[in-house]
Amino acid sequence: MTAEDPRLDREPDDSFAIQTFGLRKQFGELVAVDSINLDIKKGELFAFLGPNGAGKTTTISMLCCLLKPTGGTARIMGYDINREPYRVKEVIGVSPQDTTLSEHLSSRENLNLVGRLHGIDPKKLKTWSQLMLQTMGLADRAKEQVRRFSGGMKRRLNIAMALIHNPDIIFLDEPTLGLDPQARRAVWSYIARLKGEKTILLTTHYMEEADFLADRIGIIDEGKIVALGTALDLKTGMIDTHTMVVQAWNLTQKLIIEMRERYAKIDISNGTMTITDKKIDFREIVDRLHDANVSIRSAYIKEPTLEDVFINITGKELRE
Amino acid sequence: MRFWQLFIRSLKETCRDVLALSFVLAFPLLFMLVLGISFGDSSPSYTIGVVDNDGSQVSQGFVDEAISMVPAFEVEMLDDAEDALEALKQGDLSVYIVLPEGFGQQVSYVLQGADGNIELDITYDESDLQVSGQVISTIDTVTRTFAGVEIPVTINANPINIETEVTSVDFIGPGIIIFGLLIMIPTSGRLMLRDKESRFLYRMLTTPARPWEFIAGYSLSMVLIAIIQIVIFMLLGWLFGMDIIGSIWLAFAIFLLTAICSIGIGMVVASLSKSENQGESLSWLFSMPLAILSGVWFSSEFMPSYIRTFADIFPFSHAVDAARTIITRGAGFEAVTGDFFFLCGWAAVVFTIGTLLFARTMRS
Ligand SMILES: Nc1ncnc2c1ncn2[C@@H]1O[C@H](COP(=O)(O)OP(=O)(O)OP(=O)(O)O)[C@@H](O)[C@H]1O
Ligand SMILES: [Mg+2]
Repeated sequence: MTAEDPRLDREPDDSFAIQTFGLRKQFGELVAVDSINLDIKKGELFAFLGPNGAGKTTTISMLCCLLKPTGGTARIMGYDINREPYRVKEVIGVSPQDTTLSEHLSSRENLNLVGRLHGIDPKKLKTWSQLMLQTMGLADRAKEQVRRFSGGMKRRLNIAMALIHNPDIIFLDEPTLGLDPQARRAVWSYIARLKGEKTILLTTHYMEEADFLADRIGIIDEGKIVALGTALDLKTGMIDTHTMVVQAWNLTQKLIIEMRERYAKIDISNGTMTITDKKIDFREIVDRLHDANVSIRSAYIKEPTLEDVFINITGKELRE
Repeated sequence: MRFWQLFIRSLKETCRDVLALSFVLAFPLLFMLVLGISFGDSSPSYTIGVVDNDGSQVSQGFVDEAISMVPAFEVEMLDDAEDALEALKQGDLSVYIVLPEGFGQQVSYVLQGADGNIELDITYDESDLQVSGQVISTIDTVTRTFAGVEIPVTINANPINIETEVTSVDFIGPGIIIFGLLIMIPTSGRLMLRDKESRFLYRMLTTPARPWEFIAGYSLSMVLIAIIQIVIFMLLGWLFGMDIIGSIWLAFAIFLLTAICSIGIGMVVASLSKSENQGESLSWLFSMPLAILSGVWFSSEFMPSYIRTFADIFPFSHAVDAARTIITRGAGFEAVTGDFFFLCGWAAVVFTIGTLLFARTMRS
């Protein structure tokens, strides 16, 4: 977005938990975050989707006051990240992309450290950390030094450390990276429980995660937010084509050529035909195939996924 | 009390890493032993005072051909025993030998095959273990084989106790301890640099803890280790015969202040560096030359004055002076006030710089 963008002049508004104003970070020549303007409401769960190197982590680092913006600013719960970093730090909880724990401390001691640094009363902290360890499935190894933990266990503790002090704003940078499906689901359901109460900004590479959890999704590419909205908005608004998938036995070359003339895009692989066009009439296609004596095993209209939206907008896959 | 939480965490992290802890504790000791032995033994040289009451050709020959032939001996002729005793007390002599009147005659008799005995009076400081052990037996040997003949000789060894005598342990001991504390510069920044590399520090930086609290947290655990270190050093010094003539507490205070200065420098280096390797190389690079310039191993008196002036900017030459004054001369607080406050001021300044640098680099 350019400097003339009208939103740069918008007034700070305390009903928003996070507001960025032309937030920008440049590493030498490389523009990692390109003047982002973003409003996140209190209690909203916002997901950043973006390919590697899009600038997600850099944005979060600036919002947590770890990196100085090279331009613009942001307000977290009304506190300016440049002028009042310690007020900001009081209200946030962060789960960094890299798992970072104090390796010779137990999981309980790690949680206590973060809690005490946020000034939580030790008695309260004791019950909270017990609960948190149970939620994350770490209660039976609470006393063990975390250097003996598996990667997934460390990851869960990494998330727990962002939540232990009951912060208003939670930053989760790829929280479920490296978790097994069961643990991932447990974390999702826990995050879902926080919805509405806490403001959460998470980044992820898992489409289902964003789809399942997020109120709104921002797709970020090369430092810019290129699409913004609910999952449904994005799917319906960003994809103007429809797709139908047909599995059939005896597709003839002649038929395929005919179809290619009729529809915008036809893909064939392993006896599966994928038809893409602006307008798809299910009936019409089925009839056409019948007329050509093709026996259909199955046929369905494919809903667009976030992945499609993503590829459509950025031209990149999420994970290489 | 956030610094307290950070301190407890640093302490746990340091003490539970048994390997790293034993390294931190044992490393200076090893270093000191290795360097101490090599420096201590490279040129053991003793000044031997000789009072020749005989004045004969034989006695002259004994001095020139026997005593002087020992490479480690440096002979100094003295007029009478009183001068010699004075010189011994001053520490100018390791030992002195009185050749009695009739020494030459006695030797001649013996050489001609007559029965007889040669008497030598040797006076030395009994607390000087090297002299009593090595020097006496060397003199005994060279005397017996003087002129190529086995001569029966009686050595009247007169150990005397010289309270103010400065033995080499007393002189080198404080220097070695200061050196042990100086090399806390590389070790004290280690945890912070590890936290930087593992990025744990950056997670801690998302909490409201202030820069000074991080610095305090990291350094307090090192101060605790320094206290243990100093106690071990002083015990070892005592075992090796280092007498602390002055107040043991004052000596301890000087050592502790020195350690705090080292830790402060460690914090500055750690704040400036990005990785453990970088930080350690940087601190070794200047702590070794600084140790030598500060007169830890050799007295800095022989160095050019501009080097001494340069070394005096840093706390360690002051610490060495103060520690030697207290330990070997028994001086009280009045004698080391200047050094004491210099160390205090230095600690305050270096920690302020460390905190500012930490604050500056923590948000890039
Ligand atoms: N400290 C730094 N110095 C120089 N360049 C950096 C630094 N940190 C990040 N970058 C660059 O900024 C860009 C954005 O990086 P960032 O970590 O924000 O991406 P990301 O969206 O989090 O990617 P990923 O999905 O891989 O985590 C990248 O091109 C990266 O190389
Ligand atoms: Mg990232």
